[in-house]
Amino acid sequence: MTINAERKEKYDLSEPYSVGEGVIVTRADDNSVKSLDDIKGKVAGETATSNWAQVARDHGARVEAVEGFTQAIKLLNQGRVDLVINDSIAVYAYLAETGDTSVKIATTTGEKSEQGFATRKNSGLLPDLNKALDELRADGKLADISQKYLKANASGGPEAGQAQHAPLSTWQLILDSLGPLAKGAITKTIPLTVISFLIGLVIALAVALARLSSNMVLTNVARFYFSVIRGTPLLVQLFIVFYALPELGVKIDPFPAAIIAFSLNVGGYAAEIIRSAIQSIPKGQWEAAETIGLNYVGALRRIILPQATRVAVPPLSNTLISLVKDTSLASTILVTELLRQAQIIAAPTFEFFALYGTAAVYYWVICLVLSFGQGRIERRLERYVAR
Amino acid sequence: MTENRVMAEGVHKAFGDNEVLKGVSFNVPQGTATTIIGPSGSGKTTLLRALNALDVPDAGVIRVGDVELDFSKPVSKDQLRRYRAQGGFVFQSHNLFPHKTVFQNVTEGPIVVQKRAKEEAEAEALELLSQVGLAEKRDQYPYQLSGGQQQRVGIARALALKPKVVLFDEPTSALDPELVGEVLSVIRDLALEGWTLIIVTHEIQFAKQVSDQVLFTDQGVILEKGPPAEVIGDPKEERTRQFLDRILNPL
Repeated sequence: MTINAERKEKYDLSEPYSVGEGVIVTRADDNSVKSLDDIKGKVAGETATSNWAQVARDHGARVEAVEGFTQAIKLLNQGRVDLVINDSIAVYAYLAETGDTSVKIATTTGEKSEQGFATRKNSGLLPDLNKALDELRADGKLADISQKYLKANASGGPEAGQAQHAPLSTWQLILDSLGPLAKGAITKTIPLTVISFLIGLVIALAVALARLSSNMVLTNVARFYFSVIRGTPLLVQLFIVFYALPELGVKIDPFPAAIIAFSLNVGGYAAEIIRSAIQSIPKGQWEAAETIGLNYVGALRRIILPQATRVAVPPLSNTLISLVKDTSLASTILVTELLRQAQIIAAPTFEFFALYGTAAVYYWVICLVLSFGQGRIERRLERYVAR
Repeated sequence: MTENRVMAEGVHKAFGDNEVLKGVSFNVPQGTATTIIGPSGSGKTTLLRALNALDVPDAGVIRVGDVELDFSKPVSKDQLRRYRAQGGFVFQSHNLFPHKTVFQNVTEGPIVVQKRAKEEAEAEALELLSQVGLAEKRDQYPYQLSGGQQQRVGIARALALKPKVVLFDEPTSALDPELVGEVLSVIRDLALEGWTLIIVTHEIQFAKQVSDQVLFTDQGVILEKGPPAEVIGDPKEERTRQFLDRILNPL
């Protein structure tokens, strides 16, 4: 693993077996990046586990958080990011393995990174490990291995990792994470939920009415839609919108892509809820609406839907609360929502329990507030029903 | 000389293979009360619903108020709406809108559908509620009322549309016996006031007292019609006699 101060705290780290340097990867036909200064204003695809994200940010690039190097390269190919900064070793390995010629190493960042073996603290294995590494380096074996797998010599010489500030305590880390996590919740998780739910309800009403119509074509289209939405994982729906559609030339940014996938998903499930709620209203209500002269739309709007709402609110609340939690899936398509924020903060520190625990509390609080709102709406809608 | 508020000629209606109305004809003069009696399944409710297009006939000509439709030809939604607007309908199980107050139930038609001036419509609604004895219940929801009160609101809701004819589908059948009287007395008052009424009922005594005309339906046709003194008092048809005997002497 890459040697850094936090990891040195947690593990015993050997001397480096490889030394890389930061390189900037661009599309092969892009000649606009000649030095680190040229990345200002561009979009960099970086994993949260590396320090490269910070390097990119420090030089004025906007960072799109990705799952790993391969995904970053894929996004680079799709034109969703302009560059990827990474360790030369990872890049060599990728190029050697895939023979990909669509991307190239444009320049170096001038920063070194060292990889060493990690053992448990005080395992007593370090002296042996370091001795073995010295021998391999001395007889050229290490260079050979590097040549074989990376098609480049990255064995380097032993260098001490740069001295860095001491890592934070767990409580301090949680405290520091509260702001960024709240930001993820307020700017991404909650808007994602609210917008998707509202659009989803509109879709659902249309689908429910199509399903109830006497037109067989409409009915079957509605059935098919629900069947597809219910029969496929939400994660797959997200991936299709974000990763698959670009192959058809439809490239959608992460946030709107998430909105589209979640809205369609909610639309399917809520359609069934609204349909059954409408069907639960006695036929006599439709007839009474007709006899006072209301047409179909008028009867629906003034007589049927207000009553169906009362029936639909509890199951729709369930859908909404599920949606709050399902938005965490958007973390897989680069939306820096609540969970993604926690991942980003947790990755370099390995404080998973602290960060994911805090994220869980945030989700829980949001759902508590929604449950409270559900109770109030239900009480209001119950006012005309005998108790 | 009184004009006819309803004229029906050769009305047919089938549900699938089941022919419920097999050519029904009758007239209802303005300001009179007509009761329709007959065994279950004889087509009386279907006949009443045809007059408000809740069930659209397959054939026959019906005029209600000012609108005449020939159902053997295709009729448009717009024609049906104008036809339906001529009548007010009172359901067996009232079908009040449970999410609206008594007052909102009565004003929904005049204000929302007929677009009448709000103040005028509200004043009239209040008057109608007084007439059926429920002015003080105006802000209650239907569930807070007794069955008889609910049915009286149903009547007020139908009257608020100012229909040319008021149609009652077994208005007391769903009520507890002790609540039947209050509803029947409201209907009787309407007859005395000169409303044109058509009432499907099993209350033979009531039919006798209130109606100007009684229709006895059996197996999809009107077997006998005339003043109550004839149809109920001295029926000519054997089947009418049997029916009345069963109703009046159940044991």
